[in-house]
Amino acid sequence: MSQGSTAARSPLAAIVHYTLRACMPAQRWLLLLPVAGAVVFGLLSRLSDEATVVAFARVGGTAMHTLILPITCLIIGDALLGAEIRSGVFAFTWLSPVRYEKIAAGRWLGGCIIAGAVLAPAAAAAAVVAGAPSSAGPAAIAAVAGAGAYLALFVAIGAMFKRPVVWSLVLVILLERLLGAALTGIAQLSPGWLAQATLVGLTGAEEELAREGVPRGWAAVGRLALVALVGLAIASRRLRSLKPASSAD
Amino acid sequence: MPPDTDPAFVDGATVEVADASVWFGQKVALSELSCSFGPGVTGLLGPNGAGKSTLMRAMTGLIGVNAGRVRVDGRDPRTDRAVQGRIALVPEDEAVPAQLTARELVRYVADLHGVRDPDAVDRALDLVDMQAAADRRLKGFSKGMRQRSKVAAALVTDPPVLVLDEPLNGADPIQRANLTGLFRRLGAEGRTVIVSSHVLSEVERLADRVLVLIHGRLAAAGNHRAIRDAMDDRPRHVLIRADDPRRLAAALLGLDTVAGASLTDAGLVVTTDRARDLAVAVAPVARDLGVRLREVRPLDDSLESLFRELTR
Repeated sequence: MSQGSTAARSPLAAIVHYTLRACMPAQRWLLLLPVAGAVVFGLLSRLSDEATVVAFARVGGTAMHTLILPITCLIIGDALLGAEIRSGVFAFTWLSPVRYEKIAAGRWLGGCIIAGAVLAPAAAAAAVVAGAPSSAGPAAIAAVAGAGAYLALFVAIGAMFKRPVVWSLVLVILLERLLGAALTGIAQLSPGWLAQATLVGLTGAEEELAREGVPRGWAAVGRLALVALVGLAIASRRLRSLKPASSAD
Repeated sequence: MPPDTDPAFVDGATVEVADASVWFGQKVALSELSCSFGPGVTGLLGPNGAGKSTLMRAMTGLIGVNAGRVRVDGRDPRTDRAVQGRIALVPEDEAVPAQLTARELVRYVADLHGVRDPDAVDRALDLVDMQAAADRRLKGFSKGMRQRSKVAAALVTDPPVLVLDEPLNGADPIQRANLTGLFRRLGAEGRTVIVSSHVLSEVERLADRVLVLIHGRLAAAGNHRAIRDAMDDRPRHVLIRADDPRRLAAALLGLDTVAGASLTDAGLVVTTDRARDLAVAVAPVARDLGVRLREVRPLDDSLESLFRELTR
């Protein structure tokens, strides 16, 4: 008896721990790819003739927030909920007296820890290799804040749609990139644009790169937190009416 | 409420199903099903696609019913999260969090249910004889070991209502016997244990009370003896291959268990309404005649055909 028993955890802590242990694929080295990508784009920033901070925000930051951040979060976000719902494994969590809000928050928190551990060093490393070490902190903050918002939206999409990856790509490519580039109203709520605005605002590259109508710096971080909250609220609501699949479905 | 004598219902029910219908698009999975479950082991018997899993998923709140209602301790399992603290499901499908060990899965479920007893996890693993493999990852487990891990995860919460969807699938004979004994003990302790299977003999060993589902409807209810008798007392066809089928047919036609016989390309096909008696009689008859039997096989003894007969 009592071989390897661990102390009881609170349901929220249990869900976060489960997320870290169970939701990520076995090939965790794949999470190094975003770091490598960020470093490459950081190096490319050196090719610009602009001041290093501005060059990093324009090249490294843009690549980070339009490509590396959303794709990494999409992969992590699908694993947090959508993939489990599809496989039938989510029933283990759903069939418990834990409130839906707590389930959504636990999964999101676990995802944020994973994304933060990957993206914050990646963004900081990109700034350093770009020759703008003063941008490392702001880049890490922007990446983590953007990841939080993205993951909340992807968790919500995972709870809403049978093909969450497709809908997540629609959100990122169609809504954020295409429509968000033209319509400031969408950019004001877009994790990608807001993360870029965070970096621009916190590094002082506003003069050259600021986008009208989109909050910058810490104001953008606040907006990202709001987007995350809305995403989690939608996810919690959708979990209420979810019909967790069985693998036979 | 239904009359006390209706075997589909029990006194002091913990799970009540009233006129429940579930459909998925054009497919009707449950059709105006009414029954109840109380302390003890109840077997849910039916062929694949009969609606057993759908009923179990509705009982645990994983799906809602389109019409009618399902109640657990008087509460709606679909909308009342408190029900989840009183009921546990062992799903049939093999999906498990593959990265976890069996112990981690049981610990996780225990934590979600607020189980504070530090020995609860080990106790649950002991009950299903999984302690030795508890620290191995689920992805390396056989189907039977996965099932036992899921049973342990269900038992760790000490649920008054336990819903087990084909829990013996993949288990070896020894584990089948162990699990059967365990479920019977849990029923004897006063828990409501609902076990589904498509194997009658399995349900016979597990449950005193049996509900038979076919095409989402209740086809029969009662103790397993009544169900078995209902199945045995219908005409069946048995194929007998022997080296002299004509002589054997003549002799068998003299038995009162044989209603008819015909010679086909495949062999001798005997019609009987007492398959068990025929099975006992055919070998001595063949021996007395000096006829060598090559094969005796029921032609329509699949559970599906038996169930079809029940619903006629």
